Amino acid sequence: MSETYTFTFMKEVSSLLHAADGNPFPMCVQCGTCSGSCPVAAYMDYTPRQIIAMVNAGLKDQVMESNTFWYCASCYQCTVRCPQDISITELMYALQRYSIWKNRYKEGMIGPAFSEAFAKTIVRTGRTFEPILAPSYIFSFKMREFFQEIQNATELMLKGRLPILPPRIKRLDNFKRMIRRILPMGGAE
Amino acid sequence: MAKRLLIIDDDPDYVAGIKAILDKAGFEVEVANDPKAGLRALQTRPYDLLLLDIMMGRGAEGVMIARKLRKDTKLREMPVLIITGMREQIAFLFPGEPIHPGFVKLDELVEKPVEPSLLLEKVNGLLQAAEERKAVPQ
Amino acid sequence: MKEFAYFPGCSLEKLAISYHTSTLETSKKLGVKLQELEDWNCCGSTTYFHIDELLAYTLTARNLAIAEKTGLDVVAPCSACFKNMFFTAAHMKEDPDLAEHINFALEEDGLNFSGNTKVRHLLEMFAQDVGPDEIRSKVTRPLEGVKVAPYYGCQILRPRKDHEEVENPRYFEDLLSAIGATPIEYALKMRCCGGSLIISSRIAALSMVRNLLQCAVDQGADMIATACPMCQVNLECYQQSVNQEFGTQFAVPILYFTQLMGLALGIPKKKLGIGKELVSASPVLAAL
Repeated sequence: MSETYTFTFMKEVSSLLHAADGNPFPMCVQCGTCSGSCPVAAYMDYTPRQIIAMVNAGLKDQVMESNTFWYCASCYQCTVRCPQDISITELMYALQRYSIWKNRYKEGMIGPAFSEAFAKTIVRTGRTFEPILAPSYIFSFKMREFFQEIQNATELMLKGRLPILPPRIKRLDNFKRMIRRILPMGGAE
Repeated sequence: MAKRLLIIDDDPDYVAGIKAILDKAGFEVEVANDPKAGLRALQTRPYDLLLLDIMMGRGAEGVMIARKLRKDTKLREMPVLIITGMREQIAFLFPGEPIHPGFVKLDELVEKPVEPSLLLEKVNGLLQAAEERKAVPQ
Repeated sequence: MKEFAYFPGCSLEKLAISYHTSTLETSKKLGVKLQELEDWNCCGSTTYFHIDELLAYTLTARNLAIAEKTGLDVVAPCSACFKNMFFTAAHMKEDPDLAEHINFALEEDGLNFSGNTKVRHLLEMFAQDVGPDEIRSKVTRPLEGVKVAPYYGCQILRPRKDHEEVENPRYFEDLLSAIGATPIEYALKMRCCGGSLIISSRIAALSMVRNLLQCAVDQGADMIATACPMCQVNLECYQQSVNQEFGTQFAVPILYFTQLMGLALGIPKKKLGIGKELVSASPVLAAL
């Protein structure tokens, strides 16, 4: 007899987690320690506690349309304080992956484009290179923010703190073949 | 006797679709919705064919499963149809470059979304090839 | 003599060049030998985990494998690099499947990580492995009267590695006392600087920076000492933006703790990269 599987949004997201072996969502007691500890909660559409409740309730569309997981700063304050030992930060990463893979995110989010630009640079050169990342976000800034960034960059340049040439690692060919063993794209194994 | 297939895929909408097509074609279809459950199922009972998604969980976790199968003397002969949405998921990292199959001894690759006729063609083709291999003493 | 493998990370190449130079100078003075990893790659920071976790681990594992070849424990000055290295090593140890898969990929570069290398943050290395007593004994120019806010940030402390203190650690304070400075007590010493939110949610990040600066200034800090290039950049480079946004007038120098250690050990300012900061530390240091 074949086992019956009911897919729920909660199950979908929990399968994107690894460190928590199993499904941590039902463990949440909705105490709100995460939201109280979160330094960014005030700027989120829903607090971390609410997001967990919403995932549990299967409100996929609202969760995907929220900025919450893109606003997570990875500070892990919620994670070390959660009385149920839920790694809430990892949960936010899982939602980010889900969002990128499904190409579904709230309009105007800079996070996804930045992550993609960042990852591309590493895959190509083995290193990050700040100036090449800037176009992924700077054009979405308002005029004042844009000039703040330019001013910062100019000052850093004058202090010799901005790289001029993109760095790259020496064994780049090996590095790229290594990546292909994990992500099987581009050329044959 | 109906051929028994296992689908390991974490995308419910997609799984519901292909399961319906395969059910209708007379296959006995089981589903595992995450890599861990999938591996458990494979170790518990034999299947004639595996339909495997390669982007799940931590990332390319399906690739990890495929590598495990290739090294397993019992499971290595089982045909595997790789079904993947990789192009949509992370192709931005490798623009214009192909996904390369060849994860296991006997596999084929189709990209999501799959046409029902193509799906059945690939499944039947792989099952037949496996039968033929079994018939020829090595 | 203590010896470590050293993974500087991308920021220390340019943006945080003074962290790099002051680390090397300070270590030399304290008799700690740092051996930079050959041909290291970017650790993926936090953003890579949004794309593919397996690849994120693999990127970090390559550096760990290179470190393991030296037979030394590895030290990272950036908190994000440190967190990635520490937990990649831990996950590979507890999950043999994961380790096997990643090592299969590392083969392409002739590498293998067996999980034996220990990972330390540079601050832990100085504050705990070398220790305040040893440092105090080498101080020639104590930073007397300088009130410094020790800023731990996030990823040195969190997530928790073992059973260590994560709500009120003291080792940064002890280190500052050892070099003669006065560590100030303030409530936000472990509060997040915003990390890469400055890009994705600017107003949230700026207000976090503002709160931190305000809290340190209210407690009488002359400057803030950091142990992470990301924290340094957020607190320093965005101070002007904070002032424009909130009408504040902050001018708080943000130095790396290694720069302060270097000063106390008698190393010339120039060698420590002092002068490369956007908010000059000269007015505070002139009193010394």
